[in-house]
Amino acid sequence: MLLPKFEFHEPETLKEAAAILSGIGEPTSILAGGTDLLVNMKKGKASPRHLVSLGRVRELKKTARDGESLRIGACVTVAELREEREIKDDFDGLFRGAGLLGSPLIRNLATVGGNIVTARPAADLPPPLIAYGATIELVKDNGERILSLEDFIKGPGETSIEPGEILSGIILREPPLYSGGGYVKLGMRKALEISLVNVATFFALDGPSGPIQKARVVLGSVGPTPIRSLRAEEILTGERPDEALFEKAGEAAANDAKPIDDFRASAEYRSEMVKLLTRKALKQAYEEAKLREWRRWK
Amino acid sequence: MKTMINLTVNGTKHEAAVEPNRTLVDFLRYDLELTGTKKGCDMGECGSCTVILNGKPVNSCLVLAVQANGSEIMTIEGLKTAEGLHPLQKAFVEKGAIQCGFCSPGMILAANNLLQKTPTPTEEEIRTALSGNLCRCTGYQKIIEAVMSVDKQDIP
Repeated sequence: MLLPKFEFHEPETLKEAAAILSGIGEPTSILAGGTDLLVNMKKGKASPRHLVSLGRVRELKKTARDGESLRIGACVTVAELREEREIKDDFDGLFRGAGLLGSPLIRNLATVGGNIVTARPAADLPPPLIAYGATIELVKDNGERILSLEDFIKGPGETSIEPGEILSGIILREPPLYSGGGYVKLGMRKALEISLVNVATFFALDGPSGPIQKARVVLGSVGPTPIRSLRAEEILTGERPDEALFEKAGEAAANDAKPIDDFRASAEYRSEMVKLLTRKALKQAYEEAKLREWRRWK
Repeated sequence: MKTMINLTVNGTKHEAAVEPNRTLVDFLRYDLELTGTKKGCDMGECGSCTVILNGKPVNSCLVLAVQANGSEIMTIEGLKTAEGLHPLQKAFVEKGAIQCGFCSPGMILAANNLLQKTPTPTEEEIRTALSGNLCRCTGYQKIIEAVMSVDKQDIP
């Protein structure tokens, strides 16, 4: 399959990229990892006249600590994200999600920002990022804005990004002392798989053994966007973490899911799996909370 | 409009004028006539177009040649040693890990990249590292056995 013709732009700074974007009057796409866009172009689903590549914009490829926050450049690849010490130590749900995206070959190209702006309902990074309360930075020629990732994704392939805007970074606040996150993905195979259901969790405890102070449960692939299960979060809040509580939260999460029947799985099956995956992801979060505490004492 | 690119492939510098819509796999196969790199699905799913781009295995069907400007690339043609076949290639032959051979260049490059980073990988590490490379002949078992059989001392 041949790629349609396009004009290629390769800015070296974010400022330059934003200026190019605002100056082109014709259909334009931003090229980051290319694992989604180039496939869509080959299939004829996208035919931009211009491609603005962010591959040479070095400032988008850095992950840096900024006080109590961690700022991930939008063009950091999924494989690079997994190499970051902070992600390994403090964001286990995100670390797991990044390890389950595509294949090792895809992870070496695909970017964190790309997995967000493409807004696929089954994507692996948005649920854990939302569970950790991520915010994102959008830059354009004449300004920038910051908004929560949860509010950014609007539907399958739809976000609130405006023409000329570039997603430049993802900001994560350092998780509190007694807290942990988890991510469980269900697919038919282990690699190159699109989730049938995925669930990301995060909770912060009041002390080493609870009660739960704040919880987030995010369901992926069972709605047009990742869904926060407010019912599950309510059940968890104020309680001590244990198996029975996680099971109750799983039941509640299934009530918040809005799965559909498709050729990959039935809605009923997906609903059942939400229960199971929520329970497992909550267990992971608890394990991580304990592990992080143990590491502090060591 | 064509763009000039400079890149190093298997240690040799190349300068070429390419159309922006030329993918790296097509550039390697048609412009440089390095046909060891295969093109299967052209969608980033099969891994037969795997090359090592700046030290990392990637699907070359998902990279534009212009994006590879300034980079260093290794294809299967770059793997052979002064003594002939690379130990991994020998192991693939000896263990029956090659049948039709279409996935072999990608498999071997991905496996070599793993062995460079992890000289004595576990079976699970091998399976994960090769999970982006599909094989429709061998059922994978013989490929895993071939990678496991390579003596790390032999890797150049």
